[in-house]
Amino acid sequence: MNAIEAQELTRDFGATRALDGLSFAVPRGQLFGLVGADGAGKTTAIRALAGLIALDGGRALVAGRDVASGGSLVRESLGLVPQQSSLYPDLSVAENLRFFARLFCLPKQDFRERSARLLGITRLEPFAGRRADALSGGMYKKLALACALLHRPEVLLLDEPTVGVDPVSRRELWALLHEFVAEGMTVLLSTPYMDEAERCHRVALVHEGRLLLEGEPGALLDDFARSPACRQTAPSFETLFLARLEQADRERERGDA
Amino acid sequence: MIGKERTERAEGTERMQKAGKRGRAWAVALAAVVRKEVRQTLRDRRVMFLLIVAPLLQTVILGYAVDFDFENVPTLVVDLDRTATSRMHARRLLADHTLQRQPGGASVTTATAELRSGKAAAAIVLPPGLERDVLAERPAEVQVLLDGTDPNRAMVVASAAARYFGETAEDLLRERLARAHVPPPPVIRAEPRALYNPGLETAPFMMPGVMTMLLVITTTIVTAMGLSREREMGTLEQVLVTPIPPLVLLLGKMTPPLVIGCFDVFLVLTAGVWLFGVPVSGPPAVLAAGTLLYLVCTLGIGLLISSVSKTQQQSFLAGFLFIMPAILLSGVMTPVQAMPAWLRMVTYVNPVRYFIEVLRGNLLKGAGFADLWWRLGALGMIGVIILFVATMRLRKRMA
Repeated sequence: MNAIEAQELTRDFGATRALDGLSFAVPRGQLFGLVGADGAGKTTAIRALAGLIALDGGRALVAGRDVASGGSLVRESLGLVPQQSSLYPDLSVAENLRFFARLFCLPKQDFRERSARLLGITRLEPFAGRRADALSGGMYKKLALACALLHRPEVLLLDEPTVGVDPVSRRELWALLHEFVAEGMTVLLSTPYMDEAERCHRVALVHEGRLLLEGEPGALLDDFARSPACRQTAPSFETLFLARLEQADRERERGDA
Repeated sequence: MIGKERTERAEGTERMQKAGKRGRAWAVALAAVVRKEVRQTLRDRRVMFLLIVAPLLQTVILGYAVDFDFENVPTLVVDLDRTATSRMHARRLLADHTLQRQPGGASVTTATAELRSGKAAAAIVLPPGLERDVLAERPAEVQVLLDGTDPNRAMVVASAAARYFGETAEDLLRERLARAHVPPPPVIRAEPRALYNPGLETAPFMMPGVMTMLLVITTTIVTAMGLSREREMGTLEQVLVTPIPPLVLLLGKMTPPLVIGCFDVFLVLTAGVWLFGVPVSGPPAVLAAGTLLYLVCTLGIGLLISSVSKTQQQSFLAGFLFIMPAILLSGVMTPVQAMPAWLRMVTYVNPVRYFIEVLRGNLLKGAGFADLWWRLGALGMIGVIILFVATMRLRKRMA
């Protein structure tokens, strides 16, 4: 059973095609990575899956429901951590958590237990009274994550969660994500960092709104190591993805000619 | 059959329970948004200043500064006759302090130069031979030069001079008839009695205008900028991925400005009554109803502006683009009846016009629902239409 299904997602912004028939599926309980360069369409795909933008073509399904028609049932089943700021800077950590909990109509007892746990695992407990705009980049991301997880979503969408975060916080964030996935949550995240692809159960390389490559990181690397395109004895994800991007560009140039 | 009925009843109960749960969830979300908005407003000193202190300050300043009762208008007396009669007329003309004599004005040329430099607003030219003509019972002409750049002030001087010399001519005629032992003709005198504002003071007239202007400025701009701010900060998207319906979110964002707007009315009214003696003659229920309906309009306009703006700056500018013509076409400053017919048509869709009429009618004339019902109805209708269009646009944009 898939928790997320992107079926031929297409979206234009004026003359620019941001998503060009992008398709992938994420089974329940997996950590799925969307990898690609800046402007590849990762953020647009995540926004489409969250129901924040309408699609020009294709279907997005979250927790088995169509995002376009699922309404509040879809929103209750997903949590989103956007790329940019998404919290109220003039509210404290605790106030931000309480506000989002109320929007999900979380009972008070549930909220107390859940926020205590999330503040504990994100190590934000000592900063509960601090304003969101006074938090460091890493703490801010953790708070955004905590706000998105308050209502125990089935699916968590994260748009470049580690950008602008120091290495220690980055490691902690990844540890948290693996913890949530171990509890049965489905996580889809986008990242521009190729090294982070290795930490996902499955990974998809997106380029110009299209899917170039998808699979388990280990299997993808093994296949690449055996392919004639690989000129290294120990290929990395970076070389794999760069080789695939170059191949895609060559194919497009041939098509244009 | 019975089994089918039971199933239908059970389904109906389940639907009602779901609707009840949904309603409760929306109420909780609405309360959360209102609480958050109040908290943010209270913490933002600039917004607090804009909403509470600025209206009070502006009320006091506008109340004292805007005064149409002209007194001591700087006036030159160009006495070219230099006789006892000319000096007497100059003295009597200035006696009621509407005009105040300025030094200078030796000739018409110097008087004109002083009018141009702004040292005086008017010049009364008493011609040579004035005394001789008056004694010989010949017509005489006194020239009144006016600085027409301020038409209101010029009109005050013109009517003061016309009134004085009209009364002087009447006295001279009476003296002449008395000397000839002819009884004076019957006189028809107008006895003006100003109702609702017996002293014809400016403050009771202006205070409702000040309230109208302050409310439209604060509530429209604060509402318009509030949503744009959320959009700019990225928080709007985060809220939109929660189950809260856009309509509930908008309602939550409108509630604090609505309450603050009502508080501003109370504040400005208290200052008006206390400092400027503005009467509260009509039923307070009409005032409350008018204020609420007007606030629905101004908040709706704020939402409408935010539905077409991308940034706070755009919202602010769009707010002023609406507010300035809305105030000018409301009758706050000049009567609507004095406007050209095509502009008068525009005023019919201007909520500011109806609110100023409700305020002046209710506060000064003591008008109730029976007198003001159609203006309240117009406010309500405009408010509902604007709010409907704004929410539809925002819902579409948010979706």
